[in-house]
Amino acid sequence: MRNLDTPKANTWCPACGNFGILNAVKAGFKQLFDQGLDPAKLMITCGIGCHGKIFDYLNISGIYGLHGRAVATASGIKLANPELTVVSFGGDGDSLGEGLEHTLFAAKRNLDMTLILHNNGNYGLTTGQFSPLSPIGFRGLSTPQGSAEQPFDAIPLLLAAGASFVARSYSANPKHLAEILVKAVMHRGFSFIEVLQPCVSYNNTYQYYNSRIKMLDQIPSDVYEAMRLAKDKDHSYLGIYQAEKRDLFEDLSSGFANPVKESPAFRERIETLRTMYK
Amino acid sequence: MRPDTYTVLIGGKAGEGVKKLAQVIAATGLQLGLHSFQMDDYQSLIKGGHNYSLVSFSPIVIHNAYHKADLIICLDELSYTQHLNDLADGGFIYYNSSEQTHQQGIGIELSKLMKEHYKNPSNPSLGGLAIFCAHLGLDNELMLRIIKISYKKNIEENLSFASQVYSLIQAQSKLPDAISQAPGLHLFSGNQCIGLGAWAAGLDTYFAYPMTPASSLLHFLASMSAKLGVKAIHAESELAAANMAVGAVVGGAKAAVGSSGGGFALMQEAFSLAGISEAPLLCVLSSRPGPATGVSTYTAQEDLLFALNQGHGEFSRIVASPDTMERAFSLATELLSLAWEFQIPVILLTEKHLSESAQSIRLPLGDACEATGLIHDALEPYNRYQITDSGISPMLFPPSEEIIKWNSHEHLESGLRTDQAAAMVAMKDKRDRKREHIALACARYPRIAVYGSGSRRIFAYGSTALEIREALQNLDDSYQLIVPIYLEPLPVDQLLPYTDSPALVIEHNSQPRFATFLKEKIGLETRQNILKYDGRAWDPLVLATKIKEAFDA
Ligand SMILES: Cc1ncc(C[n+]2csc(CCOP(=O)(O)OP(=O)(O)O)c2C)c(N)n1
Ligand code: SF4
Repeated sequence: MRNLDTPKANTWCPACGNFGILNAVKAGFKQLFDQGLDPAKLMITCGIGCHGKIFDYLNISGIYGLHGRAVATASGIKLANPELTVVSFGGDGDSLGEGLEHTLFAAKRNLDMTLILHNNGNYGLTTGQFSPLSPIGFRGLSTPQGSAEQPFDAIPLLLAAGASFVARSYSANPKHLAEILVKAVMHRGFSFIEVLQPCVSYNNTYQYYNSRIKMLDQIPSDVYEAMRLAKDKDHSYLGIYQAEKRDLFEDLSSGFANPVKESPAFRERIETLRTMYK
Repeated sequence: MRPDTYTVLIGGKAGEGVKKLAQVIAATGLQLGLHSFQMDDYQSLIKGGHNYSLVSFSPIVIHNAYHKADLIICLDELSYTQHLNDLADGGFIYYNSSEQTHQQGIGIELSKLMKEHYKNPSNPSLGGLAIFCAHLGLDNELMLRIIKISYKKNIEENLSFASQVYSLIQAQSKLPDAISQAPGLHLFSGNQCIGLGAWAAGLDTYFAYPMTPASSLLHFLASMSAKLGVKAIHAESELAAANMAVGAVVGGAKAAVGSSGGGFALMQEAFSLAGISEAPLLCVLSSRPGPATGVSTYTAQEDLLFALNQGHGEFSRIVASPDTMERAFSLATELLSLAWEFQIPVILLTEKHLSESAQSIRLPLGDACEATGLIHDALEPYNRYQITDSGISPMLFPPSEEIIKWNSHEHLESGLRTDQAAAMVAMKDKRDRKREHIALACARYPRIAVYGSGSRRIFAYGSTALEIREALQNLDDSYQLIVPIYLEPLPVDQLLPYTDSPALVIEHNSQPRFATFLKEKIGLETRQNILKYDGRAWDPLVLATKIKEAFDA
């Protein structure tokens, strides 16, 4: 069994919700390995932010990419070799601010990969500015009088974009998150997990979430019901909001099904051109 | 001096099939053993407006289209008024007399005849083809064969319409006689050459967001995806395209991106990502007049310094620009292979004039080289950024039991992030050590091109060389054209011997940017600049006069 730890010293603030995510992810991957996922075929990508440091703490191959671009980089890996399992880690600033387009388009395309959104409601690494998911009135260094923007709701946004698997979990419930991660990775299509993640330094939401978290009884009957539950005023529902079979981009797009594995040898390429342009 | 050329100008509205007709006409010349060069002048609109194409034929190699036409075919009225002055001495102009009649020229009732032959409204370009064939006395059978090969829809209607137009016209001119049956010549656009070159070297995936004049590279590769297997992805933006391409490299694929200036600007951060993460990436930059949106469908060389200085931060890159269609093919193979040898981003810089013009050439398949990288052999534990003397760290691709970590942060050998002073310096030095090896490796390939051996020296780069070489075919042999193909690293030693006298520098810029670059790098003195910045390519005859004047003065 692959040891998922790295020698890198952890620099998250003590009690940061990211620890719960890291533990859950390790547990989830271990379960997946037990179920037959080949660690050699697992790749991760991440953006830049506190969440991105998870790249250094996981003994897994991949790329620590640019701020906002983790999903685009992950899409490239998957397109190159669809045999790989690709999991991407994003922050709310990263995946729904700087890189919003890639998140929505990945959902629209339905490439078979997973995005884990570390939703801490602010930009942690750059000292607590408001994020696309911060509530109106959020005070940070760039909005000392309180932010003047309505937040996005991650789950309705992703549902509208067409994500075929959508779920919510909580960093303080790693067991739940690990289970959801396993299901998300097993799902064939684009999977999105919003992880509610307290940031103890700039947006400590432990009490807030602890008092309002509830579990979904079942997958909501349709997308409107899912959106309604995701936006519920009194409760933050954890669980699976959507799990739908949809055609995969990699199956529909033209060209080799697996560009890396089917890549023709140099000689073959030259011969092909020689016959095409006699 | 060059033997006779023959030039055809076809004008019409967007949507009337002008460009397609020019391609068919150029291909017809090819069948007769003639060399051809096709240039399309079109506007950024879909229907209406005014488009025209020039096709010049010659018994010997022809590097550029001429602007004075021996035969003008106007599919609409605007083409007549716009191009009457482009008629060469002794030339003929045909127009659509269903729209209007004129004193000069030969009227054919194209619109009326079309109504008689087609059930649904169609485009008049088949009439244009019939005019071309009949006017030049080409065999009716040849015309019918060409129509069947080139126009797959409405075949019967096309044949009857074209036959009737053909029957109304008398042969009045002749194409130049072919010297040989030029076997193996095919009509290729520059973007096709680039795409095929990159593919020949090993390209697996191409990522882009449409932007003229790079879009036709995306379109071409997409059209070839079923045949060649290459994946051509139209991403949500240039940012996505470039980051996906880096991801594809991490996944083990050979990848390229392409755009024009604006889109390339959006790719800059990912270009730097390729720099620090050492991701081999071929980037095609096809210029149009800027800044910003500029003029979408015309040509320029304004992005020279932009290409040389692409990305933020320090890292090595290669920038090179093809001066011929053949070179577009071979250079694309070289650049993809250099990118993989050194794990760096490389730029193939070109312009609309090369990207979208087409010439009859033979693909130089023998010049193609293969893109391969140094791959880790599985004995020792793997470190993506292993410190080596050459600065090149072996690569490894999934699936693998080893941990392969690529990083946009500064990193340790393992690929884990670092901000320690000594580790930073070690990794920067590692990357920097590639520099001298890169310069040596580029020396394997032609880094400059020298045309002619006269004492009157001209410097240019990119597609401007096409225009100048055709201009020089109309002058005596007292000229010499020097073209740097590799611009970064610039082959200074190879260029220095040509700096002993002041040269004429020709470029498509409003300021002498290329001339200033040469002065800085090789101390070249300029005797005169010829600058053109109206987006149009030169007419070789006009340019020839300018060149001669520059030296006679
Ligand atoms: C192009 C670019 N812009 C800005 C930054 C600076 N930056 C780094 S992380 C970050 C925001 C992080 O917020 P989020 O994605 O929510 O992650 P968190 O730190 O909260 O986990 C910013 C703005 C950057 N690295 N790159
Ligand atoms: S700033 Fe917030 S998100 Fe970042 S490590 Fe500290 S607690 Fe965690």
